[in-house]
Amino acid sequence: MITIEGHYFDGRQPIGVPARMDFVDQDATLTVGPISDHCATFHLKVSPPIGSADRFITFPNGAQFSCADHAFLDSLPQESPSEGRVAWLEERWGVALACIATIFCMLLAGYFFGLPAAAERIAARIPMETEQSLGRQALTWLDGKGWFKPTKLDFDKQKTIRDGFNGLRRDLPMKDYYHLEFRSGEVFGPNALALPGGIIVITDDMVKAAEATEEVLAILAHEIGHVELRHSMRSVLQNSVVAAAAAAVTSDAASLSVAVAGLPAIVAQTKYSRKFEAAADEYAFSLLKQKGYSPTAFASLMERLARKYEKETGPFAYISTHPVTAERVQRARDAAAK
Amino acid sequence: MDYEPDYSRYTWDELLDASEHINREKYAERAQRLDEEITRRTRGISEDNHPLVADSLDITLEQDPQVQEQPPELLLEFRGSAREYFRIWIVNLCLTLLTLGVFSAWAKVRKKRYSYSHTTLGGTPFQYLGQPIPILKGRLIAAVGFLAYYVSTHFITSLLPYILAAGLIAAPWVIVRSAAFNARYSAFRNMTFHFDAGYLGALKVLYAWGIIPAIVIGMMFNWPGKPVVLGIASAVFGFSYPWWIRRLKRFIVEHTSYGGKKGAFFATGGQFFKIYFIAGLIVVAVMIPSGALASILLASTKKSWLGPYLIAAPMYAGYVLAFAYVQARSGNLVWNHTHLGPLRFQSTLRCVGLLKLYVTNALGIVASLGLLIPWAVMRTLKYRADNMRVLQEGELTEFQGSDMGSVAAVGAETIDFFDLDLSL
Repeated sequence: MITIEGHYFDGRQPIGVPARMDFVDQDATLTVGPISDHCATFHLKVSPPIGSADRFITFPNGAQFSCADHAFLDSLPQESPSEGRVAWLEERWGVALACIATIFCMLLAGYFFGLPAAAERIAARIPMETEQSLGRQALTWLDGKGWFKPTKLDFDKQKTIRDGFNGLRRDLPMKDYYHLEFRSGEVFGPNALALPGGIIVITDDMVKAAEATEEVLAILAHEIGHVELRHSMRSVLQNSVVAAAAAAVTSDAASLSVAVAGLPAIVAQTKYSRKFEAAADEYAFSLLKQKGYSPTAFASLMERLARKYEKETGPFAYISTHPVTAERVQRARDAAAK
Repeated sequence: MDYEPDYSRYTWDELLDASEHINREKYAERAQRLDEEITRRTRGISEDNHPLVADSLDITLEQDPQVQEQPPELLLEFRGSAREYFRIWIVNLCLTLLTLGVFSAWAKVRKKRYSYSHTTLGGTPFQYLGQPIPILKGRLIAAVGFLAYYVSTHFITSLLPYILAAGLIAAPWVIVRSAAFNARYSAFRNMTFHFDAGYLGALKVLYAWGIIPAIVIGMMFNWPGKPVVLGIASAVFGFSYPWWIRRLKRFIVEHTSYGGKKGAFFATGGQFFKIYFIAGLIVVAVMIPSGALASILLASTKKSWLGPYLIAAPMYAGYVLAFAYVQARSGNLVWNHTHLGPLRFQSTLRCVGLLKLYVTNALGIVASLGLLIPWAVMRTLKYRADNMRVLQEGELTEFQGSDMGSVAAVGAETIDFFDLDLSL
């Protein structure tokens, strides 16, 4: 016989009465003061174990008996049997350590391999058209806010660059989506950007910084790389999954510490954008060589920009969005030498 | 504090605490009454050794008459331990990631169950009766809604006005459903809570005066592009916001019931306005000097990449401080002006205490790469419970559970098809 002491709640008033339950074989006896009642144990329902909290035994008439956790209670019919199995896992430090290791490996593997690979495949299946309205909107917004002003380049200069650009894109899979736009914009400094949907914007300062058309084409080839490799779509996909995973991991913290919720996602995203830059570089080098240009033009322009803007970098300068490293220049020279 | 404290209702510890901290110059008259109450009680102690009633489980008539004058307190305690909760958190997180999020509904039940059943009122733990399947359904609906919003902001921007309009129409439903779910599946002493408002009630409360719909419709037609309209809209919204918040809080409190007794809410919009007004002043007071300091630093340094951080840091500091202030003050305001049957609440959250909590939580979480999240959750819940007192003016028997109520507690496992949890 097993006896458990606890409290009885009839469900009609929020008053607990000290009570006792005795279990003999298939029979449970509830004793509240002078009154005793019998019940078969298979009519009872026991609440799942959770931490060190009290558990509740529910009777067929809806009344409840609460008591401290007791191993015997697990042998009675459970309200939620699946939770009992989870509770078994939750009680063990060994399982907790294994979980830490599993989560760690899953996040790392997903972040470095699974997610980029999945995003690449999915992005390739999403038609370019879905990005186009977004890109047009972004450009209209930039123009409307005055970030961009109309270009001051003369027509001949524009035509030379446009012809070279058309030569570059001619045989590419995304050839029909490209739009080359010239803009002047002081905040951006010498810069070029690939907007979603194949819009490539190059600033007057960038054209002026280049000493030859070949150098401008080298920069444009880099932006073409972003478009061909679907970087804007892939970054949207990857960053949303990272944000969702970060939200899942930190969901408990988000409500109590405003400071940390967005942090992991921000850290993760900068890493991805660097990878995209390197990939666009590689793409540009092979495209340039294929079209008969040398990647050295890329290296020389990069070096000149780095020298010129070493001291005066505005928040939107090319250097800050595209970290110029000796490594990047070196890769261009290596590609040229091959 | 703008209420006159009734010291006869204070417990012994609180009296001592109050006499230690009271501003005797500013509140000379209050301090005198406080001292009188303490001397009165000390006489009581010499006659009887039990001046405090902490546990009201058995209110017996043999108690000292001195004691019966102050309402008995139902002791609210949080007994969760960070070590225990860590294991629960990590196992459920692992299963959630392994199932690509599907298990998150089960995880929510486990975590909620833990915090409920380790919160005891008058010695009895609360019970969480929520079931995973309705939570999963709610999460799927939320995910579809979010996806639609995401697609419309990132890709098919022409859809955005329709998505926003749909969100506007759905919002009252979401509020009502999640309040009803939370109430229905929360139980204390074998009696569940109830929430009885419907869609139309929530619609009225949310969109009264038409300010929010006007703003959203305005956004659809790009009115905020015009600075005058934007200025007027934000001024109207800013000044009416405290009253709007009060309506929302009142709506939730007054439609929640336990044992046939509905909540009653007494806080006024003016009291909310005071809180948000001071919070606004805090933001300005923090941002102006630290912003000036940041611009001096920025001018003197060559490292221009520091710029965005130097600009963001003071804004962030001001925001966190104001957030802690609003959380503490509005939490106190709501609870101290809420009655539930014979129950009265006393919330004593402090801005500084919350701020310390937020900052140490954030530091701990970052330094431990997130492994201290469960610790942060536990100490936050403990802090809240420690700063909440539940007083009882009258008998608990005023709460009458219907037969239905107790059946619902058991019957929670039979899932109603339209039953879903939308609170994330």
